[in-house]
Amino acid sequence: MTEIMPGLALQKVDERIMTLNVGPQHPGSGHMRIVVQIDGDYIVACDPDPGYVHRGEEKMAEYRNYITNIPHLERPVIHDSCNVLYPYVLGVEELLGIEVPERAKYIRVIASELNRCIYIMYWLAIYGIFLGHSTMFMWPAGDREFLIDLMEKMTGARVTHAHFIPGGVRNDLPPNFEDVCLRQVNYFEKRIKEYAAVFYDNPILISRTANTGVLSRQDAIRLGTTGSVLRASGVDYDLRVKEPYDVYDELDIHTNVMKEGDAYARSRIPWLDMMESCNIIRQALQKMPKSGSVRTKLKPNPKTKGAATVYKRVESGRGSLGCYIVSDGKVEPYRLKLSVPSFRNLIALPYLLKGEKLGNMPSVYWSLNYWPVEADR
Amino acid sequence: MSVIAPKFKLSEFIKSLLGDAFWAILILNLVGIPAVFMVLFYIEMPVIHGELLTPFLALSWIADPTRTLPIIQSFMETDIFRVMAFPGFGFAALLAAGTIFVERKMLAKLQLRVGPFYCGKLEGILQLMGDGLKLISKEIIIPAKADKPIFWAAPVIFVGAAAAFVALIPVAPGWVVADVDLGLIAVFAVIGFFPIITILSAWSANSKFPFIGGIRALFQMVSFEIPLILSLLGVVILTGTLNLSEIAASQSSFPWIVFLPVGAIVFFITMLAELERIPFDLPEAESEIVAGWLTELSGMMYGLVQLGTYLKLYAFAALFVVLFLGGWNGPSIVPPFPAEIITDGITMGPVTLKVPGLPIFSQEMLNGTLWFVLKTVGVIFFIILPRGVFPRVRVDILLNLGWTKLIGLAFVNIFIALGLLYAGVLGPGGLQ
Amino acid sequence: MMSTETASAEVKSEGKPTPAKKPTPAKKPEEKPIELPEFEKGLSDKITEKFGDKVEVAFVKEDRVRINVGSENVHDVAEFIRDEMNFDHVESVSGVDFPQDKEIEVVYHIGSYSDSSLSRQVLVLATRTQREENPIPGKDATKLPTLRDIFYSVEFHEREIFEMFGVFFEGHPDNRRLLLPEDWADLPPLRKDFDTRGR
Repeated sequence: MTEIMPGLALQKVDERIMTLNVGPQHPGSGHMRIVVQIDGDYIVACDPDPGYVHRGEEKMAEYRNYITNIPHLERPVIHDSCNVLYPYVLGVEELLGIEVPERAKYIRVIASELNRCIYIMYWLAIYGIFLGHSTMFMWPAGDREFLIDLMEKMTGARVTHAHFIPGGVRNDLPPNFEDVCLRQVNYFEKRIKEYAAVFYDNPILISRTANTGVLSRQDAIRLGTTGSVLRASGVDYDLRVKEPYDVYDELDIHTNVMKEGDAYARSRIPWLDMMESCNIIRQALQKMPKSGSVRTKLKPNPKTKGAATVYKRVESGRGSLGCYIVSDGKVEPYRLKLSVPSFRNLIALPYLLKGEKLGNMPSVYWSLNYWPVEADR
Repeated sequence: MSVIAPKFKLSEFIKSLLGDAFWAILILNLVGIPAVFMVLFYIEMPVIHGELLTPFLALSWIADPTRTLPIIQSFMETDIFRVMAFPGFGFAALLAAGTIFVERKMLAKLQLRVGPFYCGKLEGILQLMGDGLKLISKEIIIPAKADKPIFWAAPVIFVGAAAAFVALIPVAPGWVVADVDLGLIAVFAVIGFFPIITILSAWSANSKFPFIGGIRALFQMVSFEIPLILSLLGVVILTGTLNLSEIAASQSSFPWIVFLPVGAIVFFITMLAELERIPFDLPEAESEIVAGWLTELSGMMYGLVQLGTYLKLYAFAALFVVLFLGGWNGPSIVPPFPAEIITDGITMGPVTLKVPGLPIFSQEMLNGTLWFVLKTVGVIFFIILPRGVFPRVRVDILLNLGWTKLIGLAFVNIFIALGLLYAGVLGPGGLQ
Repeated sequence: MMSTETASAEVKSEGKPTPAKKPTPAKKPEEKPIELPEFEKGLSDKITEKFGDKVEVAFVKEDRVRINVGSENVHDVAEFIRDEMNFDHVESVSGVDFPQDKEIEVVYHIGSYSDSSLSRQVLVLATRTQREENPIPGKDATKLPTLRDIFYSVEFHEREIFEMFGVFFEGHPDNRRLLLPEDWADLPPLRKDFDTRGR
């Protein structure tokens, strides 16, 4: 590769290796471009090219104060928006020294788990269609409507809820929410157990994804992967258990770990996580204080007393999401950095795809629990 | 307020009428009469009741519509009717259209949704017509560096080959477009065309994704042709003939699937692979290679390819029915035509109407067609069903299946057939 | 001007670093003799023991220990952290632009998966480098040594810092644009003098 101008390079076309642009306008790529070089059926090199939906979230955050930052910070993952806001809200609460009432903490936990399930269902639907299984596309997309319905009752919006604010949540739950939630979550859990028959025990799926894209335990740790990718490689690490925030230390959480580290394990762990989330929601509904305030009132234009930094992290649907806030005493944060799990897992993509067959590319790529919009922020 | 012909002059009106009449008579005489002569020269007019059918005679029969029945019957004996309407293109296209609609509806119900719903009053019946009209109205975009003659010709040849396949299938006793003695070998020859057409279309598009799709289609179809042919050899061994009509007729007591289930299963799987249906739809794998070899086809070319694909689907299902499920054989459930109508005519009150020429379709033909359609629809149902259940296989699993496991099973099938033959159970001297 | 908390203290070797099982979060911001959490203090003590005054402990909080290092020593400190202290991956790398100091700060958050006593801890490692008025990314004085040979997971993060701040990482195998389009010819966007309003 010879460089002509800064950023522009010339590469001779190889007779044997074909460069394929699995680009943004491709039914198998999400909103991202992957440049793969294939030799026959084997991928020789892979170069992910994110940035198609880069919005400049972090730059925009420097122009808005702590409260008006909320609507745009939840956009990276619109249906998992509560989990994207969670570390930000926890960080701001620590900076400003705000106490959160107990009922608000439980509501936040319930909303976070519902959002996790909604996200994982959508991810599973796209995983099904990448493998050519159209039924597995329709069923999760249809079944998650139960949970989106619940979120709509709770917050008023189907996606991008903007429900968490520093100090608690915006509004209290509507009356009779607990019964409706319990019923729908029970039915939802029954529905997702049926996926075993059509998807997870499907022999064609197993023959296609077992032992492909294997990420060993050392590599998973060394590459800094997170979330379901890490747990599928045998590392028992879940932030809700290791570093509990809000009321997770009072709930009983079981971490699902699989040892194989192949694409099949990575596709199975989120499904097991969803059933775990249903348990968590049931426990939280039981233990929640029946009444109480849900918000600590803030003074207008809150700001910190001096320069301070905080780094908080939360377990979202994809992995551990961190938020690093640098504040210098003004109403706007000086620097806000979102450390998103999709960006952290992206390093595994060129590592795993080298030497894989082209037919395995969509399944390995999407099994990394990758959400392109979040990685670009 | 309406003004009729503000400048109406009667003389101008009569002049225009005479002018039109002049042109009509001129064209009719200068072009029409030679055309009629040429038609009469080349097309044989049928002989009905001892009289040659001339246009004058045909026009005189309009007075009594029942006398046109013999014309219809004689028309049905011609080759043109067979190719266009009954066991040929029209029938197959109708079944194909029905298949597409049933597929969409059935998959929708499986996937907890509704399917076509708004087009047409009853549950979206006219959706297919709407899709066809849409495809006709779209612009056909040809890539700049594509090889244009081959690129244009490939979908047309595809439909032609599919139609040739349809032409070999017997639907009812005596009703087949091309009654060839080596019918089964002709079928293999036509099936061998399809990979060539696919790779021609993919190569001439001069683009990366069709290239990969075309190569995959070539691999898939070629590697599954051998098990296809081998699995049908068992039936040939037991019946001793390659003529499809005779094979269907030989199953009057029992269908061959009872004795050769392994062959039927192997044939079913290779049929799914030849048709590029899920789970074997690699050549059109959407998530890896956009649309495979169909990527650059747009508008009516895509429509033609879809038509050809569904004609092929019908033809393969019909072949399965003819070879393994007994063709048109089945218990007689169509009631015979009441004999009084033939001899005495239809009686309504004081009026008796004698209608010579009935019945148009014999009872045997109706019964055979009914059973054939029922069995074909059943097989098509089982072809559509895996689409809702399985994901797509990968190329190396596919090739492994075609070149090792299926050939082994097909050989097992041949040994079963040979065993049955030499043990005297079937074949000459046995049950058959 | 470093970002400090109320409990900033440069603690020299005080006793043996004994990693306790539970940290003691005893922080009363008003009182003078402030008790730092023991476990985290053990971590910071290990580093100051080895490196002396080349590092500065910015704060020791519950689950977070912050170390500020100069750009010439950051590579050795990171190597020590990986080899001796069982931290095995970097969670995130962020850059902070301080135009009034004429410096750009790069902050590494380092975590540990394999050591279960460290699973809550995040070690914050911060370095600073010079900042120029008219940056030419890659060819001016804004440089830092890369930590990619120590922690593999920083590869894409450092690429992002390169394109967003203009900090060139020496030794990084692939200093290329990641999120920005190929034809970006403007200032690195996350700097403070790149204003998105009114352009």
